[in-house]
Amino acid sequence: MVNVKELAKQEEHMTGGTFACSGCQAVYGLRLLQMALGKKMIIVNSAGCMTLTATYPYTCYKTPWLFNAIENAAPTATGIEKGLKAQGKDDVTVVCYAGDGASYEIGFGPLSGAAYRNDNILYICYNNFNYANTGHQVSPATQEFARTKTTPIGTKNKLGNIIPRKNLAKLMALHDIPYAATASTGYQHDFIDKVRKASKIKGFKFIDLLCACEPGWLVKTHEMNKVSKLMVDTGMWPMYEIEKKKVTINMKPLMTPVETALKMQGRYAHLTPELIQKVQKLVNKEWEMINAGKFWEADEY
Amino acid sequence: MTKNNYNIKYKLESGTKKKIEILDGNQSAAWGARLARVEYVPCFPITPQTELIETIAQWKADGDFPGIFEQVDSEHSVMSAALGSAATGARTFTASSSQGLLLMHEILPNVSGCRLPMVFVNVSRAISAPISLWPDHNDMFAVKDSGWIMVVSETNQEVLDSVIMGFDISEHEDILLPVFVNMDGFVHSFTREEVEIPDQSVVDVFIPKKELKVKLDVDKPKSLGIPALNEYMDFRSQHHKAMLDSIKVIEKCHEKWAALTGRKYDFFEEYKTKDAEDIIIMLGANSTIGKSAVDKLRKKGKKVGLLRVRVLRPLHESLLRKKLEKAKRIGIVDQNISPGSSGALFQEVRSALYGMKPKISNYIVGLGGKPVQDKDFMDIFDDIKKGKEVRKWLM
Repeated sequence: MVNVKELAKQEEHMTGGTFACSGCQAVYGLRLLQMALGKKMIIVNSAGCMTLTATYPYTCYKTPWLFNAIENAAPTATGIEKGLKAQGKDDVTVVCYAGDGASYEIGFGPLSGAAYRNDNILYICYNNFNYANTGHQVSPATQEFARTKTTPIGTKNKLGNIIPRKNLAKLMALHDIPYAATASTGYQHDFIDKVRKASKIKGFKFIDLLCACEPGWLVKTHEMNKVSKLMVDTGMWPMYEIEKKKVTINMKPLMTPVETALKMQGRYAHLTPELIQKVQKLVNKEWEMINAGKFWEADEY
Repeated sequence: MTKNNYNIKYKLESGTKKKIEILDGNQSAAWGARLARVEYVPCFPITPQTELIETIAQWKADGDFPGIFEQVDSEHSVMSAALGSAATGARTFTASSSQGLLLMHEILPNVSGCRLPMVFVNVSRAISAPISLWPDHNDMFAVKDSGWIMVVSETNQEVLDSVIMGFDISEHEDILLPVFVNMDGFVHSFTREEVEIPDQSVVDVFIPKKELKVKLDVDKPKSLGIPALNEYMDFRSQHHKAMLDSIKVIEKCHEKWAALTGRKYDFFEEYKTKDAEDIIIMLGANSTIGKSAVDKLRKKGKKVGLLRVRVLRPLHESLLRKKLEKAKRIGIVDQNISPGSSGALFQEVRSALYGMKPKISNYIVGLGGKPVQDKDFMDIFDDIKKGKEVRKWLM
């Protein structure tokens, strides 16, 4: 595992001063990603919050950056990889950095296509569990009972979003790609290790990176990284790697009560003690299954 | 490189020998791409373009195509991958038709807005609903504002030549805009004609591999395709200016290609229009039938002619006005319709001719590949002779 001393010496490839919100974990994820890979990387971005981090005439990136549209980061990266290959260049890591709406939903077809072709791409989904850049609407990554702008709490709806989330990392692993994993910006070392490990594998690699979202989750700025960590500690965001369907649970959660993490997030402010218990039960059941070796059958909260 | 150098090179390396083959439009376009030594071809099948990509696939399988060829998951992904590849400086080519073109429409302005060179071939086919497999130009006109240079071919030879000339125009450092080459489904794509395949050495001299100055390069990192909120209009005006500037580059390209191959193209092809009083204006494969109608009427001593629009974008308006100075009556034949308005070519040409004298009529023909015969064109000539401005459908 990469240590703090080593990280402190890393050259950074991103300057300060972006248009991102204070405490934004997605920008933090990008910074960690660049620390992990160095400058031999090209990033393809999907329409989302990160798109605004490079706005003419400013850019915070010292590595090449390309924005195309929302649903096509994966095939754009395919073209970059093949274009470089056709010109005899194969020492550059082509990375997609796309949000959960772009990856879980509107760009899922193209993402699946690139995974099926096993294109040599590292795809990182910066997952803040909502369409954040448009003002926090529900996405297939939004957890059950979370409030979003299109699943608001009203006099009739007291539950918020009632559809359980899609599980993208598992879905991607089922494409038989060499590497699929989940990570969180709350566990930086783990993320950096996973990025470095993935970048050394040839083929399609997928990492679903939990990134807390200040205005979407309604979390205090100084608690952003803490909540990203707590989502893992409570067991709400399982951390695993799947290499050709072989599963490694690489972090056993402390099983901190889910209430600790939920209480920090305004998007769960409407949850009654009963609903909090319901979430706790869902998470407990999920981990009972995982611990019993039934990873694929477990429903992730 | 001057015109003379081209001539010398051509003579040295290929002599006067000509390689003539009987090719359909899809094969002609594929030959254009092969001779241009394209480095990456992402593709997705759709009728009537499928045989174009299958031709390249077979060459790849036989070891005759050194570039990377791959089928991806949709036309949208095709254009996205093409954008990515072009952004690395690789010479990129792809093709589609109809619904496929409409699906990739979102990415077309991204390619031109990023100022990336590439050549794309559209094999025109009517758009749904109802489904039709046969040609008309509604697909092409749907994307006319995407900021691409657009060339509309009449023959298979012109398809091949336009693909090769497309790279010369597209990669010119003052232009850097993608080029859209149109051919008609079935009429071109599945119809064989005599086509001269230029010698590889000729094409190599004509379009040598160029280095793209701004690209995705880890040694010279740039952020591409990013938002420009306050400066948006500046970017658009530069894009428009490049499009207008491309007129000179296209002229030069036509000259160079003529010097090498003897085939001279222009923005507009004039067919017996010099002394013509009645002129039909149209584009695409049906122009050939229009020309045969002109021949028949000329034999009867009628002063008729046909003007074929070849370069649709940029639309060289001043040249168009000059070429139509003497026309008295004009019939614009559209193989497309903007429902509730008129044919799209009619809108373009009539607007370009504003303030000029001729009576201008519009005829909608051949939608969904409805056959058009020279008799139809003779009827149109009869109709415009009456000197009224009309808008009609030939059903």
